[in-house]
Amino acid sequence: MSALENAKALTGAEILKKIADLGLVEQGVYAGSLADLLAAAVAESKEEGVEIGVACGLNNADTDYVLLGILKNAPEKVMEGIAVAALAVGAEKKTLYVPESEKALADELAEKAAAYGIAVSAEFINVRANKGSAMIHIATAADLADAFDDSYVPGVYVFVGEELKKVSATTKIADLVDVTGAKAIEAGYKLYTPAEEPTAAAAVNGVIRVLTDKDCVVSAAEKKVTACRQTSCGKCVFCREGLIQLQYMNREITQGRGKAEFIDLAKEIGEAMEISTLCSMGQESAKYTLDAIAAFEDEYMAHIKKKQCPAGECQAFINFYIDPNLCNGCAKCTEVCADDGLEGLPGYIYIIDEFNCTKCRKCEDVCPVHAIKETTGRVPKLPDRLTRVGRFRAN
Amino acid sequence: MAVITIDGVRMEVPDGANVLNAALDNGVYIPHLCHHKDLSPLGSCRMCIVQVEGQEGVTTSCTLKAKDGMVITTKNPEIERLRMLALELLLAGHPEDCSTCPKYGHCELQMLMQYIGPKTGRMKMRSKGFPENEKNPLIVHDMNRCVLCGRCVRACNDMKGVGVLQYKKKADLEVYVGTLHDKLLKDENCRFCGSCAEVCSTGTIRDMLMNTGLKKEDEIVPCRHACPAHTDIPKYIRFVKEGNYDAAAAVIREKVPFPTTLGYICTHVCELSCKRKEVNEAMAIRDIKRYAAEHDTGLYWKGKGKQLPDTGKKVCVVGGGPAGLTAAYYLRKQGHDVTVKEALPTVGGYMAYGIPAYRLPRDIIASEAKVIEDQGVKIEVNTRVEKPVELLKEYDAVLLALGNHKGVRLPMKGSNLPEVLVNADFLEKASKGEETGMGKRIIVLGGGNVAFDCARTAKRLGAEEIHLACLEARAAMTADDEEIEQAMEEGIFVHPAQTFEAITGDEHVTGVDFMNVESFTFDENRRAIIKKEEGSEHHIDGDTVIFATGQWTDVDPETIGLTLGRAQSIAVKDIENDKSASVEGIFAAGDCIYGTKSVIAAIESGREAASQIDKYLGGDGDITEKLAPEQDASMYIGQFEGFGYEPRRKTVIDAPEVRQCTMALYDHGLSDEDICGEASRCLQCDLRLKISGPKTWGDFTEGKEA
Repeated sequence: MSALENAKALTGAEILKKIADLGLVEQGVYAGSLADLLAAAVAESKEEGVEIGVACGLNNADTDYVLLGILKNAPEKVMEGIAVAALAVGAEKKTLYVPESEKALADELAEKAAAYGIAVSAEFINVRANKGSAMIHIATAADLADAFDDSYVPGVYVFVGEELKKVSATTKIADLVDVTGAKAIEAGYKLYTPAEEPTAAAAVNGVIRVLTDKDCVVSAAEKKVTACRQTSCGKCVFCREGLIQLQYMNREITQGRGKAEFIDLAKEIGEAMEISTLCSMGQESAKYTLDAIAAFEDEYMAHIKKKQCPAGECQAFINFYIDPNLCNGCAKCTEVCADDGLEGLPGYIYIIDEFNCTKCRKCEDVCPVHAIKETTGRVPKLPDRLTRVGRFRAN
Repeated sequence: MAVITIDGVRMEVPDGANVLNAALDNGVYIPHLCHHKDLSPLGSCRMCIVQVEGQEGVTTSCTLKAKDGMVITTKNPEIERLRMLALELLLAGHPEDCSTCPKYGHCELQMLMQYIGPKTGRMKMRSKGFPENEKNPLIVHDMNRCVLCGRCVRACNDMKGVGVLQYKKKADLEVYVGTLHDKLLKDENCRFCGSCAEVCSTGTIRDMLMNTGLKKEDEIVPCRHACPAHTDIPKYIRFVKEGNYDAAAAVIREKVPFPTTLGYICTHVCELSCKRKEVNEAMAIRDIKRYAAEHDTGLYWKGKGKQLPDTGKKVCVVGGGPAGLTAAYYLRKQGHDVTVKEALPTVGGYMAYGIPAYRLPRDIIASEAKVIEDQGVKIEVNTRVEKPVELLKEYDAVLLALGNHKGVRLPMKGSNLPEVLVNADFLEKASKGEETGMGKRIIVLGGGNVAFDCARTAKRLGAEEIHLACLEARAAMTADDEEIEQAMEEGIFVHPAQTFEAITGDEHVTGVDFMNVESFTFDENRRAIIKKEEGSEHHIDGDTVIFATGQWTDVDPETIGLTLGRAQSIAVKDIENDKSASVEGIFAAGDCIYGTKSVIAAIESGREAASQIDKYLGGDGDITEKLAPEQDASMYIGQFEGFGYEPRRKTVIDAPEVRQCTMALYDHGLSDEDICGEASRCLQCDLRLKISGPKTWGDFTEGKEA
């Protein structure tokens, strides 16, 4: 007997009771009692006078989509879970949301879903339009299906070691991935220090990443914010405009144009975003930046004040030069440079034109004598005029 | 009911009422931007945030539901900080200079800035880099000014059900409002209702025509404004679309007593200003009116209009044309004893003796005049009044609605030759079936509708060759395009931009000498300046010339006993507002006060005269009446595939070979198959007036001071 067939034998109230008794929880960012969530949806649909429905998808804040693997691996399971939830609340309307970029997946699943009376939609979940619907995570739907064919094991899904696993929520992340040398752990939409000892429960989107000394947190925050901008629907002012400002400030900082006042402004905007937006996208998307600033303010300030990227990742702070003692004047560097970034003549010591150089490193790859050097510190004395190979004297 | 308190103001509101609306309705201003009274709440702009006592944090009042005992604060440092932050974020992507914006002074964002105060300049400002989109008819999109309040999207989708506008994202992640694949509005089945522009909080979606200086309702519903009688055109078109022709006719009858006549021959200035013409072709308003009038059973108006009790006052209307009959009708309805004295054998004036029967069958005039007679107006025909002042001995007031029945002969060589005719005489004789005196080769001088009436009548009376020449260039000719086109189809030669040099012939007309006009303009004193093309002298042979270059009022200045104006018009104090002539008790209306115009203008003039005479006789001057039933005009107009491309339906017209030989009606109006389709093309501009206007800070500060 499938989960759905089992559930069909029960009344809505009985299904709800079983969900409560098993202590099923809503997965994802709105973690909490699933029984309560379903009851609240019923109450809301009554209050709003709208048809009750079940909407299932990833969190809107998700930009990595690793938990979509649950659906891809076992689409029927998720669909059964949705159908069970619908039986529990007495809903006819059932929608399965996949990210906007997953149109192909939506099309692929449409037929299968139709058999369960589920519509598949590849779009950002419009929380306003889903007022009065029970909104459950794909992982929750999978749990529901497990619960009704008696294979439910409590836990959360995480993506580690190239695969999606279900682990106990209390598992320490340090026990799931190697955190030696970690300066920060990205889990869910947040950034943790190793000392905080985050557990698998923190990985609400299934994502666990380790940041080491080689990873710049400002750059990581900028990437996170950019990914959120790409996904955000842009309707709420704080989400749309807040992300633009956060992206701008993080980017300016990585490029050496940061200002000290950015720190407070980013905090003010980020904190306001959490309370001024309607869905997880606005509520969660600033947290990474806020955590990065809170835990790594020194790293931010190093970029802003000292014009340094301690991780050595931010290109703006890396200075390239050609070691005048190593350059053999072979001119191979000029052959690969597309940006007119080198000055000199064959047989003479080449010099990098800082203005034109885009730091693409192509010259570095072809230099037969490894004369092209990078430093986050000061560039040594270089020839100030055209100098024959071998004739350069530092003094 | 729930009693809630907002900023110390107690108000009783329905349980669950929208708190923002409740506050605004009860005189408490809460700033807002994405909220619009007629649209579902969005809660995106965060301007309307408030704090509810006993609840943590702030919440948007537009999504907050009133509960009994709720105590709400709209201003405190935390609310103001977050509101300012929201405004700063909004403005980061909005042009900084308001003064160049067409919406300056009407922009809700601008007013919010004035309320919330100057921003700090902390945010990174950016230009969104959208080109202004003027590729659509009627509506301009300037997405650089958009603050994504989303009202237009909700109006287009939820309020109107059209579903053209949606949120979109550019490659650079800038969010904007546009159409699917950025197609033209017309190609996305836009219905050009203008709701998007109406609800736009900034200068983003705008009407192409803005700031015309007209009142808003006139700017938005130009057809109704253009109609001299201000007939409620969108309303009757909607009734026609529903198939309720009785109701449609009643709407028309509320303003004019000649619906069918107008349906045939109105100059339809309404169509010239119809917004639909910007989309493809103007509505066939006149043809729709005709269809409604011809399918009217009188359900809503026959015996149902206003009829005030008799006042005992007597009014004589001199002239039974459209102005006179209209005035007589409404004066009778006001309770006065009205007599119409008509010089000709039947009433109708120019409608019966000027406009040819092939355009307006005479039984129509008779049946519409009968309605007026049935209302109790006494009509005396074949009664020419030479001395109107003497009528005051018998009547309390006299209205002169004499029309312009005297054709003008231009003073030029040969203009007194026997075969030189004038428009009014020619058409009157043709109408009466009398000998007109025309020959076989006719030259009509003039380029208005009357000139074409002469030319086309001559054709039907058997003329062999007809030329029509006028001073104006083709595009400036005052005749309707359809008149010109149909005349040419009938083989009439049209020669625009000609000066009339001389009528040739010693004893009989042999033709007319012309020269080509190079340019024709007016100087600052409205005098014509004509530049002729050198060496362009040419001659057209003919045996008859008909002047159709204007008409005067047919009065004898010696005996009339009244001050006259230009072209022998009756001088009145004010053409519109005070139609009293130089002798107290005598009024004048229609063509005889302002020169030759149209039937619809005469009707409006007659209405104004009726109102003014009623006041003169002690009445209140209110001649309005309500005949049509209430109309449940839905805002939800829904989708209509290919709406913008729907062609204007054509009337059924006899072929030129058939119609040119007979004075019988040749235009049979819109067919039963086409009427609904034509009525469905209407943009229903008037529905936009039902959309609530913005409530801004200014509305409230003024209220407080009062």
